[in-house]
Amino acid sequence: MTFDEFFEVIVIGAGHAGCEAASAAARLGAKTALVTINLDLIAQMSCNPAIGGIAKGHLVREIDALGGIMGRVIDRTGIQFRLLNRSRGPAVQSPRAQADRALYRREMRRLLEGTPNLHLRQGVVVDVLVKNGAVTGVELQDSRRIAARAVIVATGTFLNGLVHTGRRTYSAGRAGEPASIELAEALRRHGFPVMRLKTGTPPRLDGRTIDWSRFEPQPPDERPVPFSFSTDRIEQQQLACYIGYTNKEVHRSIGEHITESPLYSGKIKGVGPRYCPSIEDKIVKFADKDRHQLFLEPEGYETNEVYLNGFSTSLPAELQQELVRMIPGLEESQIIRPGYAIEYDAVDPRELRPSLETSRIRGLFHAGQINGTTGYEEAACQGLVAGVNAGLFAQEKGTFRLSRKESYIGVLIDDLITQGVDEPYRIFTSRAENRLALRYDNADQRLSGYGRELGLVGDNDWERFNSRRDRLIELRKVLETTRIKRADAAYAGLAALISGDLGDSITLAQLARRPGVGNEIVRSMLPTSVRSIASEEDLTSTLADSLYEGYIQAQQSTLARVNQHDDARIPAELDFRRLSGLSHEMMERLERARPETFGQARRVPGLTPAALATLLVHIRAHRQAA
Amino acid sequence: MSTIVALSTPPGRSAVAVIRLSGSDSLNLLAPLVNETAQDLSVRRPTLKTIYDPGTAEVIDRALVTFMRAPNSFTGEDLIEISCHGSPIVVRRIIDSLLDRGARLAGPGEFTLRALSNAKLDLSQAEAIRDLIDAQTDAAARQAVRQLNGELSLNLQSIKSGLVDAIVRLESALEFVEDDLPAVQSEELATRLKRVASQLVDLAATYNAGHWVRDGIKVTIAGRPNVGKSSVFNSLLRRDRAIVTSIPGTTRDTLSETVNISGLPVSLTDTAGIRATPDAVESFGIDRAHRAIADADLVMFVIDGTVELDDEDRRLLSQVRDSRYLVVVNKCDLPDFKADREKLERLDSECISISALRGDGLDKLGQAIVDQVAGSHEVNEGFLVTDARHFDLLNKSSEQVQAALKLIESRASEELILVGLHNALALVGSITGETTSEDILSEIFSTFCIGK
Repeated sequence: MTFDEFFEVIVIGAGHAGCEAASAAARLGAKTALVTINLDLIAQMSCNPAIGGIAKGHLVREIDALGGIMGRVIDRTGIQFRLLNRSRGPAVQSPRAQADRALYRREMRRLLEGTPNLHLRQGVVVDVLVKNGAVTGVELQDSRRIAARAVIVATGTFLNGLVHTGRRTYSAGRAGEPASIELAEALRRHGFPVMRLKTGTPPRLDGRTIDWSRFEPQPPDERPVPFSFSTDRIEQQQLACYIGYTNKEVHRSIGEHITESPLYSGKIKGVGPRYCPSIEDKIVKFADKDRHQLFLEPEGYETNEVYLNGFSTSLPAELQQELVRMIPGLEESQIIRPGYAIEYDAVDPRELRPSLETSRIRGLFHAGQINGTTGYEEAACQGLVAGVNAGLFAQEKGTFRLSRKESYIGVLIDDLITQGVDEPYRIFTSRAENRLALRYDNADQRLSGYGRELGLVGDNDWERFNSRRDRLIELRKVLETTRIKRADAAYAGLAALISGDLGDSITLAQLARRPGVGNEIVRSMLPTSVRSIASEEDLTSTLADSLYEGYIQAQQSTLARVNQHDDARIPAELDFRRLSGLSHEMMERLERARPETFGQARRVPGLTPAALATLLVHIRAHRQAA
Repeated sequence: MSTIVALSTPPGRSAVAVIRLSGSDSLNLLAPLVNETAQDLSVRRPTLKTIYDPGTAEVIDRALVTFMRAPNSFTGEDLIEISCHGSPIVVRRIIDSLLDRGARLAGPGEFTLRALSNAKLDLSQAEAIRDLIDAQTDAAARQAVRQLNGELSLNLQSIKSGLVDAIVRLESALEFVEDDLPAVQSEELATRLKRVASQLVDLAATYNAGHWVRDGIKVTIAGRPNVGKSSVFNSLLRRDRAIVTSIPGTTRDTLSETVNISGLPVSLTDTAGIRATPDAVESFGIDRAHRAIADADLVMFVIDGTVELDDEDRRLLSQVRDSRYLVVVNKCDLPDFKADREKLERLDSECISISALRGDGLDKLGQAIVDQVAGSHEVNEGFLVTDARHFDLLNKSSEQVQAALKLIESRASEELILVGLHNALALVGSITGETTSEDILSEIFSTFCIGK
């Protein structure tokens, strides 16, 4: 077979997974090609123009700590930053930002084009070339062949994409872009088990036709919290979003036309996400609610397009226009792009190793929506892990994996490869057993060391990291050793402020754990030398460590008690099909998931407690026999 | 999956022995032993069959064969019970023939393990089977059957759903901050959780009685020499087990027997009368008596109702005061019995007057023993937690709920409150089966309209 070009890594698709993947592989030193159907739509936000949110913001911080690029790009192109859950503890706070859709694309492309070893190619991949069970390259529609030692498939919703609006359906990867039909066929031909998933978007409105006075403004944070640890502050102008509601009239009309929705006429077979329902779903499933919240989100500085978040629909376009006009403030509004639903192919992620390499074909990796996830952040973090591992694979340097205990990325990948998906998978903080330790503010402390080792964290950022780490250590020491005694001048004032007894003396760390004691009180008690160098973020991180310490210990000892067998390794030679006492169905589930530890087996869905008890008995017996 | 076989009745000679065969191949394995097709065998009715050695065509026995088709059997698989004559030779030949044809000898508990795997039982029910087989009294068996029937699971279900409900509310408030969800009302949440906590405490409290029912209770009979300890021992056993004479110090060694008192398995220990003695053998016995007192769950302190309390009695009494004890005033049949109420009441404990000789007051004594250990819990009515592991998990779980309640009171952030609630759920879950984060998310999505 002859090839036109030779690379070490090829990434198919330049969405959020593909961009991270290509950037990581290239910076690891692998000669990398990023192949996309349309070079002008790199890092397109197909759905809502926003990045972050609860748990998703954690992912972006983790990507950034490892040396990924999503955080930097949104920091330069975000038009409204908000830190969510400010009133709650730091473990469940998370940054979120609205993006200027066009600026985001431009900035991402600029960053990729400035990356050594990274080469952009426009073309439609129609096949993945395989020899002796290992990938050798890809073939393009124009019959070019590109060779590579590793290939990452990051095709998003493009595989066999089918768009629905009302009764009309047409093949597309996104509205206005062609689907990847031949590549989808190729993957099926290679034997990958494929399922159909579904997602959707709401209509976009012309901002000039909206009566903004009828909506409640949602202002940006006064002091925007950036995503990237390398960003000092957000420079660009910040905009407001607006909140409104649907009403009974809208609901009644949707109810009357429900059979025109492909979701309810039976045309859509794919499974959609429950946490991102269409407006049709909301009205049918929660019939008792007489209004649903809507967000009007500007798509950028220099566009009139407004994203009507909360109104995802696949009803006929003309009906969408009518419905939108029933909403107070949108009586005169004009839809620029109608909403639609899209069905696409995803490959069962239980096919994957923790490195995101497929177990079927050596050197072939899958990242992003193809693995059944939804969301830019979920896609990007997989792209990063796949890119790193493809780079390592091409250079024969082993694999990189993150554990559930240390990262949300680890939780996400472990969930995917052990449990598979039956609806588009989104990250939630409740998916992380170790939630209190996996905070957005300490992602650098958890992960930057890995990023540096891999070669993804540059010298400047590494220096920043080290000096922050030193400040945190110093701050922690000061908080634990600075005591306020009864005799001190500040004592009485403090006791009065929190209306409680402080005992004979109290350390700053103990004081900070008292209810009603905010960061500013602690900061005011710090020795001047420390106060001048410790940033607000430093103080937040240190106090959070101290706040959660006891809870983390209590939780771990309970979990250790309940899950005392989680670390028990399942011997590689253990044949699940020969375990006495397991039903055929249980065996199949175990076979498919191939858990390596009892803890992984415990999370395989559909395994009965009994099957687990049986498995445990066998692991023990096996250990005794050995 | 392999088909397993084992003798299900105790080994040895008996009228009937039952061999069980379980697995998808059961019918095929048995067919050649009865000279029939698997098809003919598959009737769900006990049928008398001649059992042949398939190798030699020699008749082994005539046996009643009962087939139960999956999933309607104990193991949830095809199951055959062969009731043959209880001869070790017959049993061996039948089992050997089945092994020759490809069956595998079942390991200990393997039938139950299969029932577990096929969800015929949950973990607590499987434990109940073990308890039922090991039960020593009616009450113990009754409790095991209640657990087997899923009463524990049912009790826990209500606790679990209370916890899940609270978790769902708090998690959605955290996770879906941008959604238009109803605010969590702390007071209402606290009220619900207090209810869960008291359910946990109540259930755990039944272990006070429950563990005696399952594990039995150790009762030591103690007192001065010649107050009638051995007579009390014999009368509770309803047989002449210990030697009784009028000579003080007859009982030298401790002597233990198990007796069923109102459903409680009671391990009764008779001891040497305690006194200062130069006799070496007797003083060894007295040492043992002291040890038996220390080991006892309940000490039955016997005094002679016909004589005044003496210093020896008082000294002994002060010694048993550290334990749970009962005062038994013996010899109420004698004319000079003068259970000096006033004096005895100063002992500040319950006194039961009996006549070990005539059997008077024995029922009252039995009831007093039960009351002492089981407290307010009826051992024969109501569901009891009998397993130490369950008791421990329930207690730990209730501590976790209490911790969460404290945090709600101090207006702590949800993620902290949730630590205790998730811990509590995990602990309760390890009794019958776990609730996963996916279950919780499903509950959230079906309760609230989530999603922009």
